[in-house]
Amino acid sequence: MSIAIDTEVDNTFEDPGRRAQLVLGGLDYGGVTENVTSLWEATRPPRAWYITLGISMLFMAILGACIIHLFMTGVGIWGNNNPVYWGFPIVNFVFWVGIGHAGTLISAILFLFRQNWRTSINRAAEAMTIFAVICAGTFPGIHIGRVWVFYWLFPVPTEHLGMWPNFRSPLLWDVFAVGTYATVSVLFWYMGMVPDIATFRDRCRTKIGRFFYGLFSLGWTGSSRSWHRYEAAYVILAALATPLVLSVHTVVSFDFAVSQVPGWHTTIFPPYFVAGAIFSGFAMVVTLLVPCRQLYGLKNLITIRHLENMNKIIMATGLMVGTAYGIEFFIAWYSGVQTETFAFYNRAFGNFWWAYWIMVSCNVFIPQVFWFKWCRTTPWFMVIICIFVNIGMWFERFVICITSLCRDYLPSSWAYFHPTEFDILMLLGSFGLFFTLFTLFCRYLPVIAMAEVKGVIPRNGGHGNDHGHDHNDTHGAPAVAGE
Amino acid sequence: MADHNKKKTESAKPVSRLVGLLAQFDDPDSLIHAGTNAREAGYKKMDAYTPFPLHGIDEAIGIRRTVLPFIVLAIGLTACAGGLLMQYYANAGDWSPIFPGYNFLIGGKPLFSLPANIPVGFEVTVLFSAFATFFGMWTLNKLPRLANPLHRISRFRRATNDRFFLLLEADDEKFDASRSRQQLEEWGATAIEECNEDLTDREFPKVLKMAGLILLFLLMIPPVIIFRASAGTSRYPRMHIIPDMDWQHKYKSQVMAPAFDDSEKHTGLFADGRSKRVPLPGTIAIGMLENDTEYHRGFLPPVAAVSKDGALPGEPMAGQFNLQDEKPEGAAAPVAPVAGQDPNAPPEPNWVTEFPESVKVSRELIERGRQRFEIYCSACHGYNGNGDGLINQHAMAMAVNGQAAWTTAKSLHDPTVTIQPVGRIFDTITNGRNTMGPYKSQIPAADRWAIVLYVKALQETGIVPPATAPVAPAEGTPAESAPAKPAE
Repeated sequence: MSIAIDTEVDNTFEDPGRRAQLVLGGLDYGGVTENVTSLWEATRPPRAWYITLGISMLFMAILGACIIHLFMTGVGIWGNNNPVYWGFPIVNFVFWVGIGHAGTLISAILFLFRQNWRTSINRAAEAMTIFAVICAGTFPGIHIGRVWVFYWLFPVPTEHLGMWPNFRSPLLWDVFAVGTYATVSVLFWYMGMVPDIATFRDRCRTKIGRFFYGLFSLGWTGSSRSWHRYEAAYVILAALATPLVLSVHTVVSFDFAVSQVPGWHTTIFPPYFVAGAIFSGFAMVVTLLVPCRQLYGLKNLITIRHLENMNKIIMATGLMVGTAYGIEFFIAWYSGVQTETFAFYNRAFGNFWWAYWIMVSCNVFIPQVFWFKWCRTTPWFMVIICIFVNIGMWFERFVICITSLCRDYLPSSWAYFHPTEFDILMLLGSFGLFFTLFTLFCRYLPVIAMAEVKGVIPRNGGHGNDHGHDHNDTHGAPAVAGE
Repeated sequence: MADHNKKKTESAKPVSRLVGLLAQFDDPDSLIHAGTNAREAGYKKMDAYTPFPLHGIDEAIGIRRTVLPFIVLAIGLTACAGGLLMQYYANAGDWSPIFPGYNFLIGGKPLFSLPANIPVGFEVTVLFSAFATFFGMWTLNKLPRLANPLHRISRFRRATNDRFFLLLEADDEKFDASRSRQQLEEWGATAIEECNEDLTDREFPKVLKMAGLILLFLLMIPPVIIFRASAGTSRYPRMHIIPDMDWQHKYKSQVMAPAFDDSEKHTGLFADGRSKRVPLPGTIAIGMLENDTEYHRGFLPPVAAVSKDGALPGEPMAGQFNLQDEKPEGAAAPVAPVAGQDPNAPPEPNWVTEFPESVKVSRELIERGRQRFEIYCSACHGYNGNGDGLINQHAMAMAVNGQAAWTTAKSLHDPTVTIQPVGRIFDTITNGRNTMGPYKSQIPAADRWAIVLYVKALQETGIVPPATAPVAPAEGTPAESAPAKPAE
């Protein structure tokens, strides 16, 4: 990886007296537009794009074939058994929902905290949220067995069933939480994208492109009156999405915590799940954005400082997750309940000990390298760490789901869990679906929120709203940031 | 287009209308500066166009705070109440005649308890607030607006890129084309253009119109097909798109086991092709030992008779479980035929004339019998036992028109019935008679005796309302009047 470019400026310093630049390379408003649209305007995307899309679509096709086979045959093709009723589909569901959380965190929570560095990464992160939620929604959707009566999940009056959903069930809360989350994420993402689609509309050279970008930009002109209401709406949506994102993984954790299975029935689950979700989500954002900025030449917009900030969040949430692992063991011992103690002993040293230690290594030990500045500012290295984090987070869900179920209260029904080939293929296929959507997004939609980035470029002339700093300087030492 | 030209010349309409003057600025600060100046100069109708939300422009050109937050608050509170009400309706209210709620009784918990209903209430609130925000924002902004005269100005394309524009609208009182242009120049505009609205080309594009019509037509096809299919008749069974486990590969008891694939023969789990074992000879399932013939069959056991199977008297059930014989009971002990019966009929058993000892005749039992009678018997025999039940009335009406073959249900006050001993009536209910079906499997023996008691009570009180006249003519000749469906 030789991504060091000579103009790269070190903007990773921590100096309260100096404001770190978020847009490098001296890009002005037009420069930002040029930079973001250059790859979209290119007649041919780079070969890497075609290769990524091809492989992703292959795996997506495998997922489709597996789903058809599932519908024709039944859920028996999975490794789910008695007592492990929740196998890979639920593990994958929780994993993907968690991935999505980073996008909303970046777009909503960091927005409310006025973290301006979010502007370069929020669009891609929100797109990632939506695609991850699509992957997540697929699994419980196909897990219900009789998919043709999926609408029984919703409070729809049916003559045929003559029943309503049980609103006291966490599984139903899940339908509402994930459904609302997906809807609000799409609205938030699309609303944020409209001004940038308008930019595409105004720069598009093909007729069909002008038609579609024109349609989806809704006639946006950038009128200040529109911007005024748009910004109000953006704040409201951010304020709505913030408790929402916390509620979603809380409700997902209720699926487990409200039951009585030892190892699930714990009150720490909601915060622990939310921290884990943000942890895995940020790892996915870094995994996606490092190749993306490389391929698209977006290094002046997604700077090392952005990546470093994300790595700091990964390390912080990783420590939270590690603390939760420890607290779980403490409570299991402190409760004095035999089954509870056994459940956790069994996690670490029982039949799935290997899964547990993969989880702990990847989630707790490996991210500790981010204490070193070189590790959190070196793109190729952080991608490797982040891939480990995602492996670890997938195994966390595996450990929670499988080890608890296969050793519950009744020893006579204890069993082992073996995934079938369809379990594995569908997991890989969901990655295919995710990367297909993300690859298409990178090609046809604005990857970076141009309008928002332009808003954080310091205004020229100095009499604007710039907090009295001189921002055209490059007095950060122009050291090559270790690449 | 010729059409347009004609219209234009006829009404002498203007070709275009001046919307305003569009001034370009190269940096945000000069735009804010110009906006402030324009406002000071008294302009009210103006708007600025920027590639990103420009802070300070609201004050500069006088944009009032939006009402959007209050709209969202109102809709959010409504949604919160609505979400809770929905849950209350669905899980705690079953009063509605159509789509009533469904009360889940789980572990004695209350049907509606706020803590358990908070998550869904919260999500519904957030969902509808988000809808209100999103759609409210676009509605207040009067978007989508796909045709805007500003988009005709090629310079304006940079409003979404890197240039800043100020539009002084022609509707404004202070607006004067030449003076306003001069002012804009003074305020630092780098370019000024007139924005004109083309009034000639205001029609919806024909291509889109056609495409819309074609789409509408295509969308009509599926509902038409569905309507035709549901309104018409067909010789074929209904389409069964999703089998929904209607045909399952599973073993049912005492049925030939299904083949699991085409290559397999229909083999059961056992050598005889069955999927379940038959009981060993002489075994009786728990609760099925009906050894009290008086009670379970209504006749006295034959005295000192040895049955075909070699079972001794007092063991009437021995050898009963013979799968070939669906009705093991029946004419066991021939006794003298009852008067008025077909002489060719097999001899009648020795019916019990008194209620068996285990049946305690009481008012409660009559009441029980009445209730059961009204459930099982009254549909044909009528509530008074006159044989004028609703089914009977309806079938008779159809039989008159030749639409059905039917014999009246027998009046229980008929002399041939009133003389029957209780055992005989019990046997009729148990095994059916003529085309009256057996009720053995539906009504337990105790209830059958209760019905017998009630029938006897009905006969004793002798309620024969005169309104039974239309039924009367068919009486006495039940067997000849129709080939099927004679009812006792």
